[in-house]
Amino acid sequence: MATEVEVHVHVQTHDGIGLIRLNRPEKMNAIGALTRQQLAEAIKQAERDEAVRVVVLTGSGRAFCSGADVTEMVQGAGMRTPEDVGNVLRNEYMPMLTRLRTMPKPVIAAMNGPAIGIGASFALACDIRIATPESYLLEAFVNIGLAPDGGVSWLLPRLAGTGIAYEMFFTGKPLSAADAHRLGVINRLVPADRLEQEVRELAGQLAAQPRGALAGAKRAVTHALESTFEQALEFESYLQEAQAASPEFAEGVQNFLARRKAKQA
Amino acid sequence: MAYEHILVEIETPIATVTLNRPKVLNALSPDLIHELTSALADLDADESVRAVVLTGGQKVFAAGADIGDMADRSAVDQLSRDQTGRWAPLAGFSKPLIAAVNGYALGGGCEVALMCDMIVAGETARFGQPEINLGIIPGAGGTQRWPRSAGKYAAMEVMLTGAPVTAQRACELGIVNKVVPAEMTITIAKRLARQIAEKPPLAARMAKEAVLKAFEAPLAEGLASERKSFYFLFATEDQKEGMHAFLEKRKGVFKGR
Repeated sequence: MATEVEVHVHVQTHDGIGLIRLNRPEKMNAIGALTRQQLAEAIKQAERDEAVRVVVLTGSGRAFCSGADVTEMVQGAGMRTPEDVGNVLRNEYMPMLTRLRTMPKPVIAAMNGPAIGIGASFALACDIRIATPESYLLEAFVNIGLAPDGGVSWLLPRLAGTGIAYEMFFTGKPLSAADAHRLGVINRLVPADRLEQEVRELAGQLAAQPRGALAGAKRAVTHALESTFEQALEFESYLQEAQAASPEFAEGVQNFLARRKAKQA
Repeated sequence: MAYEHILVEIETPIATVTLNRPKVLNALSPDLIHELTSALADLDADESVRAVVLTGGQKVFAAGADIGDMADRSAVDQLSRDQTGRWAPLAGFSKPLIAAVNGYALGGGCEVALMCDMIVAGETARFGQPEINLGIIPGAGGTQRWPRSAGKYAAMEVMLTGAPVTAQRACELGIVNKVVPAEMTITIAKRLARQIAEKPPLAARMAKEAVLKAFEAPLAEGLASERKSFYFLFATEDQKEGMHAFLEKRKGVFKGR
């Protein structure tokens, strides 16, 4: 008898919004081997699918994502040796997180609850974070004798500064949604019962924006984070030339002039 | 001359050669190599062309040789065809040659890019020598040109692992001049070519020769050769024009004489 494959990651595309939902509420959306496989596929498809103009990453139930499935790790499913741990990071998480951070379309984390360990990495690798007041970010590695992974050594110092990043890495204590919001790590705080609507509204707005202009913003930032100020200025200038030659710009200018004329009338 | 596997577009004073077998990722077949090298020989002889851009188009530069064509060949077959030796018109091209690389430049494709004088790469370009995965090594200069530009250790990693490097990494390693948005790669390479095409062509030719000499000759020989070219250029009309234009605060007009 064929066993049905569990759906650890639920994917839905609607009105230009590609929703990727971790679907293991009973495990606080912990990420196991099957989850990684499905999540990698979902992220890859979201990048490739022309119908997806904005990506939303979220969890189901009480958590955004509680991190790696430690039970599964202890039971040894595919992670028997320290080298396996490294291999999963390099071969599986690295491409997923890189793709999220660099795909030429906006990616929103809808933090419906705590984002822990690799879960925090996924939230922080998104472009924008909208979170409920009950959610938090936790770099729990030190609590089990590990060092940070999943890109947070790069992401957190940039988003929150090295002081906050180190405090989180050293203490293993959570960064509350309120503190993360105050630091600018979380863009918006929204009550749980309004999260979905707020995210859908923002995603809908972004899906209606000129696609190339948004892609350009992401490509420019991706490039700039690896370059000098002068290199960034030059790269921007070329991107702007390409964008200035696009129908998006022509249409944008026309709309702008029409709006001004309407105002004057 | 009409070509089947490449496109040649002359917009004097520059020309653009585009590898044009997109269905096979511009695989470097014997026919393509033949067309490319004969086109370059023509452009080298065409006085109205002063700089050339070599590209594979928007999606891919060239992803290596035709493996299907060579899988079952013998060593003697390969030697007698001496495909790699046929690159001489590219490696020995006398005018500035700029590679505009988008997507993969792998194996022979990467080696072709390295034979050019400058490389403009789109942000998503990848450079690599995956030959080792097939039980061979690069055969069109990869093992020699990589270490000369990127150094021994980076070159070894590229040759021995077969893993490609990103455009940004290639730039850090010194084999890419500029990383640009992919849709602008060819435009920017052409612009660079036009900028160079305004320079006195004999000086550009001597400068190119002198720089390439640095990879071949001991320092004393390179310096001696550089000095001779330096003196030689004082025998050209363009040197007189260049220096007088400078003194008269106007832009020089160069004839290649």
